[in-house]
Amino acid sequence: MYTVGTEEDIKDMARGAVFLGSGGGGDPYVGELYLRRQLIEGRAARIAKASELPDDAFVVSIAGVGAPTVLVEHLVSTNTLLRLLELSEKHYGRKVDALISAEIGGANSMFPLALGARTGLPVIDGDGMGRAFPHLEMTTFSVYGCPSTPCVLVDDSGNVAYVQSTTDRIAEDVVRAICASLGSMVYGCFYPMSGRQAKDLAVHDTISHTLEIGRRIRRARESQADPVADLLAFLNDEPNGRHARELFVGRIVDVRHETRDGWHWGEALINSGRGDEPEFSIEIQNEYLVARHRGRTVTVVPDLIAVLDAESAEPLTAEMLSYGQRVRVLGYSAAPIMRRPEALQVFGPRMFGINEDFRGVEHLVPRASSGLT
Amino acid sequence: MANRVARLGIDVGGTNTDAVVMVGDVVLASAKRLTTPDVSQGVINVVGAVLSQAGLDAAELGQVMIGTTQFINAFVQRKHLEPVAAVRITLPKADGIPPFVGWPSDLVDVVGEQSYLVGGGSFYDGREYAPLDVAGLEAAARDLRARKIRSVAVIANFAPVRPDIERRAAEVLLKHLPDADITLSSEVGGLGLIDRENAALINASLRQLSRTVVSSLTEAFQTLGVKAPIYLSQNDGTLISTDYATRFPILTCSAGPTNSIRGAAFLTGLQDAIVIDVGGTTSDFGFLVRGFPRETVTAHLIGGVRTNFRMPDVLSIALGGGTLVRFDGDTLRLGPESVGYQLGERALIFGGRELTTTDIAVRAGTANIGEPKLVRSIEERTVATVLDAIHRGIEDTIDRLKTNSKPVPVILVGGGHILISRPLRGVSTVHRPQHAEVANAVGAAISLVSGRVDKIFDFTALGRDAALAGAKQEAREAAVAAGAAADTVEIVDIVELPLTHMRTGAVHLKVRAVGQLAATKAA
Repeated sequence: MYTVGTEEDIKDMARGAVFLGSGGGGDPYVGELYLRRQLIEGRAARIAKASELPDDAFVVSIAGVGAPTVLVEHLVSTNTLLRLLELSEKHYGRKVDALISAEIGGANSMFPLALGARTGLPVIDGDGMGRAFPHLEMTTFSVYGCPSTPCVLVDDSGNVAYVQSTTDRIAEDVVRAICASLGSMVYGCFYPMSGRQAKDLAVHDTISHTLEIGRRIRRARESQADPVADLLAFLNDEPNGRHARELFVGRIVDVRHETRDGWHWGEALINSGRGDEPEFSIEIQNEYLVARHRGRTVTVVPDLIAVLDAESAEPLTAEMLSYGQRVRVLGYSAAPIMRRPEALQVFGPRMFGINEDFRGVEHLVPRASSGLT
Repeated sequence: MANRVARLGIDVGGTNTDAVVMVGDVVLASAKRLTTPDVSQGVINVVGAVLSQAGLDAAELGQVMIGTTQFINAFVQRKHLEPVAAVRITLPKADGIPPFVGWPSDLVDVVGEQSYLVGGGSFYDGREYAPLDVAGLEAAARDLRARKIRSVAVIANFAPVRPDIERRAAEVLLKHLPDADITLSSEVGGLGLIDRENAALINASLRQLSRTVVSSLTEAFQTLGVKAPIYLSQNDGTLISTDYATRFPILTCSAGPTNSIRGAAFLTGLQDAIVIDVGGTTSDFGFLVRGFPRETVTAHLIGGVRTNFRMPDVLSIALGGGTLVRFDGDTLRLGPESVGYQLGERALIFGGRELTTTDIAVRAGTANIGEPKLVRSIEERTVATVLDAIHRGIEDTIDRLKTNSKPVPVILVGGGHILISRPLRGVSTVHRPQHAEVANAVGAAISLVSGRVDKIFDFTALGRDAALAGAKQEAREAAVAAGAAADTVEIVDIVELPLTHMRTGAVHLKVRAVGQLAATKAA
């Protein structure tokens, strides 16, 4: 158990959450400010390992659901989150013992921490994907037997919806429809689970990861060291099945964005400055899904792709990519629990219309030292 | 017609105040004088100089355009700011993050952090989710009066879609606080409540100062006998009236770099290039794209406060004509310290005791100012080492800005351009236009007038073509309302951002129209 005790820690965590968001999950700035606000008022978030919980503890996920553009206007209401927790306890018929994030990448890494700080509930060091994904069924919780429903949704005006679905795929559609009819931003309590389930089903240590990643980027920047080298050294944790590679360094020569069926689609083309022909591409579907070097796949979902500003090493979401930016692209293996066959059936490449089988970044780019370029 | 009129362009910088007189595309006269603490004396000095050079009488000027960095400098240095309050209309939403969270403490010490949250606001589609809490506003107004705070920012949810909610709230406040200066967030920012609120609060903190500076400028022109209307340059290189600038000083805060980039474009006729403004302390690199400065895309900080203002994307390095040259043994240290505006006293060529980059340029024979004999003793090896470092610094920065490997043209402006004497790697041609040293004043003199739209539109209900046409029309009308001649207005920028998690068809549109300033009766 440790507490998030300084505003610097919170800023580092937000930076790390963008890194793990793999391009998606939204800008965590609103969540970051909300958490900083708790700290200013003397309330620090407590982070607990899942192993510290009793097996029969009761754990839920708190998340914002909606369009990032709406979140940055409506922000977040403490009254709403406290009411959500109260209604959820009533609905589930028991007190909540701990909170867990469903999605560590982006804004939803921060809301459980802030509510935890506000209420004193511990927040589990882990989440349901170790990255960002756009759907409720795309979590390890859901894949391995803890569905997202029964769930509780609230808006800021007092509307409440209870959803129980036969599958999380259907739950996703129902929740989206409710969200759209309530002004495109609701908060929800999802994935009610036991302490035992949290231990078995979560991607562990991801909150600590956000802190460590954000901190290393900041410190390297302050000391003028190479932040990527330091990050790779930290992320390459082979005994635990984690591998990281620097995939490419170059300039963005084209970015295309469009929205179809409620998804953000796009592609970023990058070259190394030695010619005008794009050498490297990143396909975007809410998140960065697949990175290719001269047409050859070098990292593919659910492995993570991070795009960093070449100057500051600041991680960039897909919305932030723009023509002319100089970037460094990293590939990072998803946690082993994310790469099992039953998981790949839900969020493997083919589920996003990419017509290839999943291969880990460590096989696609065997050399541990960087340098495709 | 607008372009037959004699136009006076002025740039009030931290060190120098520059001025040009232009008729049509011709620069008739230019001058540079030191900026004075009261601003107006420096303006009187420089305007007197250009008018006598051009052989014009002050009354013959048809238009006056001024770019100034006074407001941004004041905000960054926390000087001359007044206490402000935020009145936020969002409840029952957004109570989790009150105003001023994330502001630097030295700023809060000066402007305070008084805020009021009241009920009201709209969804993205313009429907109100709660009625405006008039009683809450009245209570806030009474408290503001008791606290003697008279500059207030009003911020409502989705105000860019429903600006009338903020206007109604302002009416209620003004009934109880008739002397208050009220800044509406919808008038200074786009979507993104915190960034827009911050912009409104920054603006509120500058209202008193803007009144002082603008009236001091207006008096200066009266003293000079200028009868023409006076405009200020704003961040995108377009103009606003003095009255408007008094109410929205934040809109002018990044005009300096914009004017220098646009002035460089005008003086060379280039549409796409890198512009390097080499000053006394820094060199500012900007990117000229289709005649306008490339703007920042992400949120960024003004004096430590995050805003979503679109600013010219300028990269600065600590290298200018006054930059100090030092050696630690054999290792060269170039800056970041600079003698700045004291170049004329402290540099070797002017009899001073500091070795500066300008001394090196004079010793190398590429510049001819001061007393060359005072630097004759500098070794050639030293000169070569320093020139190598200067050009490497410039080349590396150009490389960081470029969007592809193709060589680009570079335009050098500003007084320090004499430092650059060699061909540059990755550069196709180097341009040093006539009047380069007053490019920013030229930029002011050629400013256009603009109108913007930044809203969410429903493409499904309206159809994409009708929605786009409506947004363009709104932007054109806004440009004409700002003073543009209707027949010169064109749409220069359209950004379409489709939104997820919303009803299909909700699209965030940003449209910008610009046109030439309409000729006025005064001419």
